[in-house]
Amino acid sequence: MLSPIIGGILMGIDRKLTARMQSRMGPPLMQPFYDAIKLWGKEPFIASSLQPVLAFGYLGFSVAAFALLAFGQDMLLMIFTMAIADLCLIVAAFNSKSPYSNIGARRELIGMMSYEPVMLLAAISIFFVTGSFMIDSIYVINQPLLTFLPLTFLALIPVLIIDMKKSPFDVSGSGHAHQELVRGIYTEFSGYTLALVELGHWTKVALLLGFASLFWAQNLIIGTVLAFALFFVVLVIDNSYPRLDWKTMIKTTWIVGFLLIIANIAGLIARMVILS
Amino acid sequence: MNGDVLLALTIGFPPLAGLLCYALNNKTARRLIVALTAVVLIGSSILLYQGGGFAYEPAPIFETVVLVLDLALLAYFLYAGYKNRSWLVIGLAALQLVPVAYFEFGLGGMAVEPMIVVNDLSLVMSLIISIVGSLIVVYALSYMDEHEHHLHIEQSKQPRFFFFMLLLLGAMHGLVFSNSLYWVYFFWEVTTLCSYELIRHDGTEIAIKNSLTALWMNLLGGVGFVAAIYIGYYFMGSLSIEELTQYSAAPISLLLFATLAFAAFTKSAQFPFNKWLQGAMVAPTPVSALLHSSTMVNAGIFLILRFAPAFRGTSLSYAVVLIGAFTFLITAVLALNERVSKGILAYSTIGNLGLIILCAGINTPLGYAAALTLLIFHSVSKGLLFLCAGVVENRVHTRLIEDWEGLLAKLPTTTIIMVIGMLSMFLPPFGMLIGKWAAIDAISSSPSMGSLLIIMLVLVGSAATTLYYAKWLGHLLVLPQSGKKLGEESLPLPYSISMFSFLSLGIILGAGVSMVLGALVIPAMPAGYINSLTGSLFEVSTGFGSFITYPFWIGAIAIFMIGTYIAKRKGGVVKPPYVSGENVSDNPEAFKTTADTQVPIQVSSLFMDNEFSSTRVLSYGVIAGTLLVMIMFLTVVL
Repeated sequence: MLSPIIGGILMGIDRKLTARMQSRMGPPLMQPFYDAIKLWGKEPFIASSLQPVLAFGYLGFSVAAFALLAFGQDMLLMIFTMAIADLCLIVAAFNSKSPYSNIGARRELIGMMSYEPVMLLAAISIFFVTGSFMIDSIYVINQPLLTFLPLTFLALIPVLIIDMKKSPFDVSGSGHAHQELVRGIYTEFSGYTLALVELGHWTKVALLLGFASLFWAQNLIIGTVLAFALFFVVLVIDNSYPRLDWKTMIKTTWIVGFLLIIANIAGLIARMVILS
Repeated sequence: MNGDVLLALTIGFPPLAGLLCYALNNKTARRLIVALTAVVLIGSSILLYQGGGFAYEPAPIFETVVLVLDLALLAYFLYAGYKNRSWLVIGLAALQLVPVAYFEFGLGGMAVEPMIVVNDLSLVMSLIISIVGSLIVVYALSYMDEHEHHLHIEQSKQPRFFFFMLLLLGAMHGLVFSNSLYWVYFFWEVTTLCSYELIRHDGTEIAIKNSLTALWMNLLGGVGFVAAIYIGYYFMGSLSIEELTQYSAAPISLLLFATLAFAAFTKSAQFPFNKWLQGAMVAPTPVSALLHSSTMVNAGIFLILRFAPAFRGTSLSYAVVLIGAFTFLITAVLALNERVSKGILAYSTIGNLGLIILCAGINTPLGYAAALTLLIFHSVSKGLLFLCAGVVENRVHTRLIEDWEGLLAKLPTTTIIMVIGMLSMFLPPFGMLIGKWAAIDAISSSPSMGSLLIIMLVLVGSAATTLYYAKWLGHLLVLPQSGKKLGEESLPLPYSISMFSFLSLGIILGAGVSMVLGALVIPAMPAGYINSLTGSLFEVSTGFGSFITYPFWIGAIAIFMIGTYIAKRKGGVVKPPYVSGENVSDNPEAFKTTADTQVPIQVSSLFMDNEFSSTRVLSYGVIAGTLLVMIMFLTVVL
């Protein structure tokens, strides 16, 4: 339940850091919450009667996925649950006849198609180390995951970029002002539905960073630092690269993600062979 | 009731009922007969299931009957080839007729003891065939009336249609219960006959063309079967499946299994034999539903599942995995660019069959259990989807998914059922996804270096699957901007019976995954496969991970209810979409352009024609598939 709050603070940090990188002061840390509260109180306009239900579905399933992470459940199930959340947002955006939100939704679908296999493969590489798909079992191994899977950890960068909707892969709905699709997938959300979608987005970011912190699960502080490092890298990339089209997104994510993880697994197998 | 009576009812009753339909040619009589057959089939298969496995030796007269019918059947295929000037069909039919005749008369045939073996796998198959199959035939009662009405057919061809539909159900039962390879082969050819006749039912040019494609591809599989019979006769001295599966994996028995796997690939439409199932969609929708969900394609799966334990750990097993995985990936990619609803469903079927075959080929207990789970849930979900697609097609007269936009407002009942069917194909916590999840666990845990490649194929394939279902879903759920209430929709009784039965079946099975695993999957595991896919009250476990079921269901329903509550509480005025401020005041679905001309907003679907050409992917796929099949035979022979 606390996951949206963690995510909200992360978004506040994001805005602060981004502002500093652009030599601005930036809004206060709690600005995302002020925004959300204000949105919630706005006069309700909706695009269709199904839209609010699906907007809440985005938030609800993101929280559910976070709960699976927090309770040490199955990694694959967590990723599938995240996919339901995404799907709620996508169907909600498809739900009106708006050209902008439709194109945003399509690009979001492609984004999902880009990062989901990489996420799943990352989970499988963790399986090769721990012998289990349960998140619980990551805490049990006596060495941090990062020492086994450094490349898998790096493969999370493009995943995070797509999911945080950061440049260069912010094709479906950008936070920057270089958006040709108005607000892309978010165009038709306003007021409380937008607040729900924002909360869902924060939760997802918190979820992914939580997943990243598992790479040093033995020590909570180092794990958090590790996740922040990843977060910071994504922000630096966001502020230094222009956006690219979706074809580049899918190609880069697959090639970089798959190659890194497979190289990592091959390395693990080689190490096992040498040790034995 | 005795097992033999029940056997006779499952195998013999449907064809006889079909004959009666054919002879009577009366609408009311046909409805009664089909309803009775459904009750008899479902009842007897459930009773058989409760009775458990047994062996049975039918009277010797049946051997003669099967022989005569088989020769007549092959002669009919020859005639069909001659009539349609198809040398391929003639050649392939002759390639079976001559060896079969020589086998029976020159070599004197071969007796098998016992002829019929009912085991747990065949009981599960029987349940699928009779429950899913009967519901589809009931559905066809209404569908065919509407269908003939639309096509303005004066002389009803329905008696013939229902004869072949029912014959198919009987033949499938014969196929799963026979222990003699020769009998399995006979029933196999009967299913080929039924599919050929049913695909060409409408008699259009394209129907005839596609039925011939289906015929020659399936006859090719039949040739593989005949080869298997000869190998069994000459080298292994037996045609009993029970005995054949006991053979250790010697090269020659592997060759026999490879020819049978080849036959299974043709029937289950794996690459390179995908074309016939894709072409079969020209047939009336109940035919597609029957071929895709419970019969025909499942015959191939059954054969692989039956023989898989015998080639565990061999190179053949890896080849089977590779072909399944390849088919899964390529069909998912092809479905991205498919515009016809039934075409997408057909690719989805072929892909899921590939996934099942892959799991069977992995041949670990977990893989095998995943294959069975997928098989059961796929039958129900795919049957449901085809039935809905048929209703929509008859109502809106188009098969293109882009024209199905906003169907929720036009046909709410059917659309909601269809949406549930789609969700059950690829989202947790439905059974198909649990099967897929178990499959990922099974591949990851299978001790082989090649499993990384297989994982990649499966992951990319399932990502593409999500994409094509999601965009279709998005289209269906578009609501009209005017905020009108949903329309009313009336369904004829047979439609309601079959669709709501399917829906409740899907929901009950989905909610009770643990029960399905306990009652159907675990008993059907072959001897020596220690079960590892277990279901308890709250979760399904593979030993490597656990999938929480009821908490997930409760959570999902709670999310939906809270969402509905918030939507009700906050409400909101429906506003027209943002079109840069150029909205037309009295029409929310249009915008103003130059000189205030009003243009309706059109949103097309996502296709990737610019990125890849389907025809090219298809032809590369067929070439690659052919190579894979050749590699399979080479690894076995060498």
